Amino acid sequence: MEVPSFLVVSLLFSCFVATTRGSYFSQLKNTLTVTATHPQGQVLKAGDDQITVTWGFNQSYPSGTDSDYKTVKVKLCYAPVSQKDRKWRKTEDHLKKDRTCQHKIVARPYAASNNTVTYTIKKDVPTGVYFVRVYAFDAQDVEVAYGQTTDAHKTTNLFEIQAITGRHKSLDIASVCFSAFSVVSLAGFFYMEKRKGKASK
Amino acid sequence: MEISHNSDYNDRKFALPVDSEHKATEFRLFSIATPHMRAFHLSWISFFSCFVSTFAAPPLLPIIRDNLNLTATDIGNAGIAAVSGAVFARVAMGTACDLFGPRLASSSLILLTAPAVYLSAIANSPATFLMVRFFTGFSLATFVSTQFWMSSMFSPNVVGTANGLSGGWGNLGGGATQLIMPLVYSLIQTNIGSTKFTAWRIAFFIPAFFQTLGAYGIFFLGQDMPDGNYVRLEKAGEKHKDNFSQVFYHAITNYRGWILALTYGYCFGVELTIDNIIAQYFYDRFDVNLHTAGIIAASFGLANLFSRPGGGMLSDLMAKRFGMRGRLWTLWVVQMIGGLLCFLLGKIGSLNGSVVVMLVFSVFVQAACGLTFGVVPFVSRRSLGVISGMTGGGGNVGAVLTQVIFFRGSRYSTEEGISLMGVMIMCCTLVILFIYFPQWGGLFCGPRKGVTEEDYYLSEWTAAEKEQGFHKMSLKFSENSRRERGKKGASVPILSEKETPSTVVKLYFALFSSSMFGEES
Repeated sequence: MEVPSFLVVSLLFSCFVATTRGSYFSQLKNTLTVTATHPQGQVLKAGDDQITVTWGFNQSYPSGTDSDYKTVKVKLCYAPVSQKDRKWRKTEDHLKKDRTCQHKIVARPYAASNNTVTYTIKKDVPTGVYFVRVYAFDAQDVEVAYGQTTDAHKTTNLFEIQAITGRHKSLDIASVCFSAFSVVSLAGFFYMEKRKGKASK
Repeated sequence: MEISHNSDYNDRKFALPVDSEHKATEFRLFSIATPHMRAFHLSWISFFSCFVSTFAAPPLLPIIRDNLNLTATDIGNAGIAAVSGAVFARVAMGTACDLFGPRLASSSLILLTAPAVYLSAIANSPATFLMVRFFTGFSLATFVSTQFWMSSMFSPNVVGTANGLSGGWGNLGGGATQLIMPLVYSLIQTNIGSTKFTAWRIAFFIPAFFQTLGAYGIFFLGQDMPDGNYVRLEKAGEKHKDNFSQVFYHAITNYRGWILALTYGYCFGVELTIDNIIAQYFYDRFDVNLHTAGIIAASFGLANLFSRPGGGMLSDLMAKRFGMRGRLWTLWVVQMIGGLLCFLLGKIGSLNGSVVVMLVFSVFVQAACGLTFGVVPFVSRRSLGVISGMTGGGGNVGAVLTQVIFFRGSRYSTEEGISLMGVMIMCCTLVILFIYFPQWGGLFCGPRKGVTEEDYYLSEWTAAEKEQGFHKMSLKFSENSRRERGKKGASVPILSEKETPSTVVKLYFALFSSSMFGEES
């Protein structure tokens, strides 16, 4: 009944056959400038408030650097405080495993300037602290450059979003009513049982 | 091989052949005849619905954790809360079954925990999430009433099978929920058009409703014992209403109950822990989507369809040939292998490898659960309920311990935790070596000469109680459990030298020894 050793070895070996293709964040160049404007001094509400994102190629870099940028994706990303103790939002250097930016705002073909989008925060965005990052992709759909609204340590220029609760009045009432019904049923059972006991004398 | 039943007029009212306690000696799965098979179907279905409710949250956690802003610690705590309530609830349930009967005890618990499931739909913070999971988890105590009910309805030769099937098919709920909840969730999203954060809430009404239905079924369609309900039997004087402190005392002073409680923590407890963490594990480590993670996680619990009952049947099969010692050996071997496979599961880094190892692991760990409850009905007759409750509660303690040590916060990665849990399983299973029944033996020692089943089971009653005839059911059980000696034990003398039995008891011996040993030789 022992697990054959060769089976174990081959299973363990398959651990090491990992997908190492794809880019790493540390290899990307920060050649895009990104700004995001939103109602200041308040917590943004999912489903209601809007963010306007503008991005473009940073002209201080030699021209031609952006020759292989074909498409961009604008994403909403978690700030470190919202990643704490939540390993499903962990930052990994290998971009295929990275979970920092889970909410796509928009995907567009690349243009060096005049890019802007107004995004109404979707209803499934959770409560947290965020920044915006733009990734540039080449023709093979591999990330080659990025830009973000915050600094390298992701501490400045962050904004807060408050999620919807998902609760509705009708749900609340239904919950309470069904719960009460269960308890009342039980009282009914006990009453019936007592009567049966008295009757079987 | 059947025990010859007396052709008393009482027997003709049962659809299945019965023994002297009117417990069924055969198990017919596709029958719903009262009272035996109907009790079986009612108990496994309602237990199934409780499992579905208790583990309804894990497959939807990727949505819930965003809605309620949960951290890994919050999730871990809620998972622990879900299984910790049942630790004491199971012991309490065991007592309630001994005193009030499984029908009332289980339907009461199910109806009292249904509100927790309904109210899960309006949870709005980590604290309220933890509370609803905690109270919903109490419903897992219906396991005890299930096992108690089966042990009351089925004779020792099929009790392992009955317990294994009802427990296993109930545990199936832990797997089925990983499929049901994502499915219900997506149906609600597409058909009602609710947002993610509303859809999961509505989804919880489904398990809640089925739980309520289960309770109604038990109350109106079930009965406690083959001869009737406790209430009626007690009023008619056929059943003596036992003394709670005596029942409790005889349970907690029986060391075998404590050993089985510990080892059950490392088969069933581990099963509960895996139910809580496995969907997220596959979702996060192997990047599968919610739907796929749910299917993989479900297959773990779904193995219960045949693996836990298989364990119970294996226990009965081993007992036929090797008696109680066979039951104990098989339990030890199967649970050890389960621990080894758990260790391996954490070490595998590929998706396909993990799924394969997980499936084999699930079969072994669930079979060990079935094997455990092949032994439990024999630990005590008077305090069957409390012993079942202790063992069941021990299962949940194991779940709490493993989650607290290995799967809370960010101390170990999930895969490290799984491997370490495997090591702990193997260590804790070693205590089975210490179980010893004087009349049947243990893993390494044979039975003590001249000790009978009556010595063991009647020692739970005082002389005064015996004088009043309260011990009659233990007497009947002793005779019916004679087969736990296995084939070799057939030649061992059955009369005790210490106690001279009364004439009535001598008559019973003569009757049953001729029928039993006559057929076996």
